[in-house]
Amino acid sequence: MTFRFIHSTDLHLGKRFGQFSGDLPGRLREARHAVIGKLAEHARQNEATTVLLAGDTFDSETPAPEVRRQALAEMRYHAPVRWIILPGNHDSLQAAQLWSTLRTEAPENVTLAVEAQPVDLAPGVQLLPAPCTTRRPGRDLTEWMDGAATPEGSVRLGLAHGAVQSFSEDGHGLDVIAPDRARRAGLSYLALGDWHGGVEIDPRTRYSGTPEPDRFKHDRPGEALLVSLEGPSALPQVTALPTGSFAWRTLALELLDGEDAVARMEAMLPEARLRRQSLVKVIAGGRARLEGRTALAAAIEHVRPDFAFLHFDDEGLATECEAEDLDAVDRAGALREAADELLAEAHDAGRSAQEREIARLALARLYAYAQAVGQ
Amino acid sequence: MKISALRFFNVKRFAGRGIAIEGISEGVNVLCAVNEFGKSTSFEALHALFFQPHSSTAADVRSLRPYSGGNPLVEADIATEAGRFRITKQFFGGRSARVVDLANERIVAQADEAENFIAGLVRDGTAGPAGLLWVRQGITGIEKRSRSEEDSEKQVRASLLESVQGEVEAVTGGRRMAEIMAATEEALGRLVTSTGRPKAGERFAAAVDELNRLDADERRLDSEVMALRGALDKRASSAKRLAEIDRAEDRDERRKEIEAAQAAFDAAKSQAEALRAAEAELRLAREQRDSADRDLKSFRDALQKAEVLRGRLAEAERLSAQALARRDAAATAAAKAFADSEAAETEEQEARALLARLDAALKAREAAERLAELQQRLEAAEVARKELEEGQASLALLRLPEGAVAELEALDVDIAKLRAVAEAGRPSVAIAYEPQAPAVRLDGTPLKDGEPRGYDGHAQLSIPGIGIVTLRSNRSAGNDDRLRQAEERRRIQLASMGVEDLAAARKREVEAQRKESDLRELKARLSLLAPDGLPKLREEAAARREAAGDVLELKEDPAQVRKAHEQTEARRQAARQATREAEPIQAGAADAVVAAQIALAKLEAERTQMEAVLGPENTRTERERQLADRLAGLDTRLAEQQAAVEGFRGEAADLASAEATVRRVKSVAEAAEKEIGRLREEIAGLTAEIRARSEDAVEEKWRETVDALTAAKARAAAYEKEVAVLQRLRTALETARSHAREIYLLPVMTELRPLLGLLFEDVSITFDEKTLLPHKIMRNGQEEEVERLSGGMREQLSVLTRLAFARLLAKDGRPAPVILDDALVYSDDDRIEKMFDALHRQAREQQIIVFSCRQRAFQRLGGNVLQLAEWVPG
Repeated sequence: MTFRFIHSTDLHLGKRFGQFSGDLPGRLREARHAVIGKLAEHARQNEATTVLLAGDTFDSETPAPEVRRQALAEMRYHAPVRWIILPGNHDSLQAAQLWSTLRTEAPENVTLAVEAQPVDLAPGVQLLPAPCTTRRPGRDLTEWMDGAATPEGSVRLGLAHGAVQSFSEDGHGLDVIAPDRARRAGLSYLALGDWHGGVEIDPRTRYSGTPEPDRFKHDRPGEALLVSLEGPSALPQVTALPTGSFAWRTLALELLDGEDAVARMEAMLPEARLRRQSLVKVIAGGRARLEGRTALAAAIEHVRPDFAFLHFDDEGLATECEAEDLDAVDRAGALREAADELLAEAHDAGRSAQEREIARLALARLYAYAQAVGQ
Repeated sequence: MKISALRFFNVKRFAGRGIAIEGISEGVNVLCAVNEFGKSTSFEALHALFFQPHSSTAADVRSLRPYSGGNPLVEADIATEAGRFRITKQFFGGRSARVVDLANERIVAQADEAENFIAGLVRDGTAGPAGLLWVRQGITGIEKRSRSEEDSEKQVRASLLESVQGEVEAVTGGRRMAEIMAATEEALGRLVTSTGRPKAGERFAAAVDELNRLDADERRLDSEVMALRGALDKRASSAKRLAEIDRAEDRDERRKEIEAAQAAFDAAKSQAEALRAAEAELRLAREQRDSADRDLKSFRDALQKAEVLRGRLAEAERLSAQALARRDAAATAAAKAFADSEAAETEEQEARALLARLDAALKAREAAERLAELQQRLEAAEVARKELEEGQASLALLRLPEGAVAELEALDVDIAKLRAVAEAGRPSVAIAYEPQAPAVRLDGTPLKDGEPRGYDGHAQLSIPGIGIVTLRSNRSAGNDDRLRQAEERRRIQLASMGVEDLAAARKREVEAQRKESDLRELKARLSLLAPDGLPKLREEAAARREAAGDVLELKEDPAQVRKAHEQTEARRQAARQATREAEPIQAGAADAVVAAQIALAKLEAERTQMEAVLGPENTRTERERQLADRLAGLDTRLAEQQAAVEGFRGEAADLASAEATVRRVKSVAEAAEKEIGRLREEIAGLTAEIRARSEDAVEEKWRETVDALTAAKARAAAYEKEVAVLQRLRTALETARSHAREIYLLPVMTELRPLLGLLFEDVSITFDEKTLLPHKIMRNGQEEEVERLSGGMREQLSVLTRLAFARLLAKDGRPAPVILDDALVYSDDDRIEKMFDALHRQAREQQIIVFSCRQRAFQRLGGNVLQLAEWVPG
């Protein structure tokens, strides 16, 4: 007997991405909805009967009705794939309105795992869900699994949402799930949610990560896990399946003095066609000459329209300034004096980092203006 | 820095050859040679040494190579404050740079370090002008140029102007500074106002507005989300509570509990009734028994009391009798004391009367004595008064009117005077008698010898022996009237006074005075006798006489009488004391009798009462026995009833707690019902609220706003940073420009002015305030555009400007050589001489190296003439 299912989590349906402008928030939102279809497609292709969603299916306790209704409609469409929805910290049971509405609206192929008691998933397969009762339960909700009675010889699957050790998206570590819960409760597999990047805690315990990334933190593509279980004691076979449509990347550009910063940067960026679906942060560090900096900034501006979002951060980039750089401003005289003063201030350890930064940027600006004005 | 030698090898025309210019001294040095003799090559080699890196392959360096190729080598000996050095550079093959200390032949620096050393010499603080001040045929010498441009006069003219401006620009930033400043201002102006606030309608202000709007939205949405979560939490807890208390089995349980408690309560109530009846009966029995007990006790008490009373009565009667006896004795004693007192009283009165009489007699005698004395005095006074009156009467006779005597005296004198006058005027007769001659008589009166005698009218002299001689005067007697009048007045006066003459008057006056004196004495005696006047004395005497009355006969001795009286008084006091003592005793005895009588009466009354209670003596024993029997019977009954009540009490349940249970159970049920109702209402309200907010998707909006707010904050911060950067840049530029102006431009102008004066009369240059570029020249009060100046003048200006800079640098302790390569192409000889003066004047503090091909003109310059010599590098 083989039981296959898709392990996914943190769909955060309805998330609005207010930090972006233009149509990007809408596209990101739409991508989250589209993930449902992708998960179903993977299930069908891999002959999985069930999709386990380990919490935070909705971004808020009170999602807009259209978010809720459209999600349920999409799930219904993909019957006979069975959807198991677990309340997470964003959509905990405290949101009674949400769950009572879902109960009345949920189609047959959607199961709400809202109680800590075994659910019959398939013959010989029991699901032990640990729904989040409140936003911060303050205790290990999986504890009950240890003593949960299931028929002899059946496969025990755990489904929970929250932090193991410090794997918490919200950063508070009061309600930590015991990392060895799978062993203690005799689980064949413990499907976890909350951490948006996929992580294997042990062969039987995993975070699948969100199928559609929503932040720069994890720097991983959106994935879901296909899990196959041969029997109660067999180790699960786990395969990662691509699901994300947007890539969130943080690119560290460590420069050495004299390197061609623009070429290095270009080399790191994804290929042109993918950029439309990419949100990229370029974090420049190391050292660069004034000329290189200016060129880099111009190059970033040049490629910016390729991307869904491109952020350039060069605060960590130190400016190397040689006499000839300053000569480009002026060889002597008042302009040179101003440049020298700014350079000295940019390297003056007695000043605050902010003041040094301002001086450095002012020097770069002077350089740029001097270039524009010409000799 | 000063240059003392220049050597080069393999430069330009001098392929495989070396040239040395040694002995360059302070002051003006002149290398004057015809074109293509190496003069310009020397200049270029020197320039490359100081301004081209040894590794450079720039056009300027390439142009140094001979056409045949090779590696140019240039070296110069210099002197600075730090010492003397040799700088050597080789370009292209075997490129190198080296600085050697000439004092010890040691290498100080090589390669890049050597370049840094040179840069330090030339730039020495990049803020100032170059440490070498070059003027070359209108070119500053560090600019790219083409030969064709260089040859063009127009270009030369323009360059000349630029060379002045260029040098000033080098110091002040000039036009580029102005343009960069303008660009900075424009960028800043797009973001903020002049006071640094975000400029309305621009991107920064829009970003700040957006931030504020989002902040407000976020706060509002946050509170809405909080309200929503609060409502969710509350509804969850309410629903949980409702589920807890609204279960059917719990309701049933509550109802059953109420029924059971009610039944228990009813049972307890009927038991309580029975107990209450038994208890009432018990109370009645106890009262009856207690009453019987009381009767018996009081009967026995009465018996006892009667016995006691009997004894006390006897005693009281005895005490009463005693008191009566004492009262009688006291009455007798008091009566006697009173009688004694009466007697003493009488005795004392008699003694006192006698004493009074005696006193009266003594007083009467005394008064009689006094009267006699008064009488005597009165009589004496009367005599005195009589004498006084008589004296006064005789005095009245004697007394002359006031001033009468004096008047009389005056009258006498007057008369005497008048008589004397009359006598003097009268004819007189005197005789001188012969001895023994008879006495002649005049009018009968003998005339004495020699005595003149007067006469009036006529007189008769009777001379014995001769006859009568009649004397006639024939003079009227009228003159005697006054005398007669006076004599008449005296006569009247005397008559009125009653005296004969003045002497008599005087005598009376003396008499009268003596009399007055006697009277005064008499008066004094009278007033002594009767100080208050005679009538008063008389009154007094009369009063005395009346008061005197009869004078009593004194038979007893007053002392004895007084003593007797004192004795009787003592007796009387003693008797009174005795009476006072007897009185309280008598009163006390009377009181004692009354008290004894009252006590007796009381006891009698009590005995009567007892008798009434006890009844006749013979029935008393029987009555006591009856009472005791009744009590015993009632005691038995009480014990029986007591036992019955105890029995009921033991059976009765606790009615209060049964009732409390009923109340509690009922209230529990009521409270549960009430809470169920309240919870349902509350849940309904919360549900409505939650549904409303859910449909608004308020939480999603809030999260969206939080994200947008974060982005807006970053955006606003970026603008703030941009503003800070631009402001910092502006500050740096302004500081540098004003610094340059203060440090260089104004001092250079100060230095330039005397040099200009030396060369031109009535010329002054004005500089543009903003760009600090020379912009107008005032010549003879006329303004001229700088562009219109002649080439000669411009080149002279250019040289002078450098000289001014050089002076400034020298003053600053950084002397710099001024190097001129055919700088005075366009100047006429007259001007050139003036320039030479300027150069020499300047050269006192300065090294000036002049390269020129105008040998003839420059012969007049004087100074140290330099020579080119062949040189082979060592």
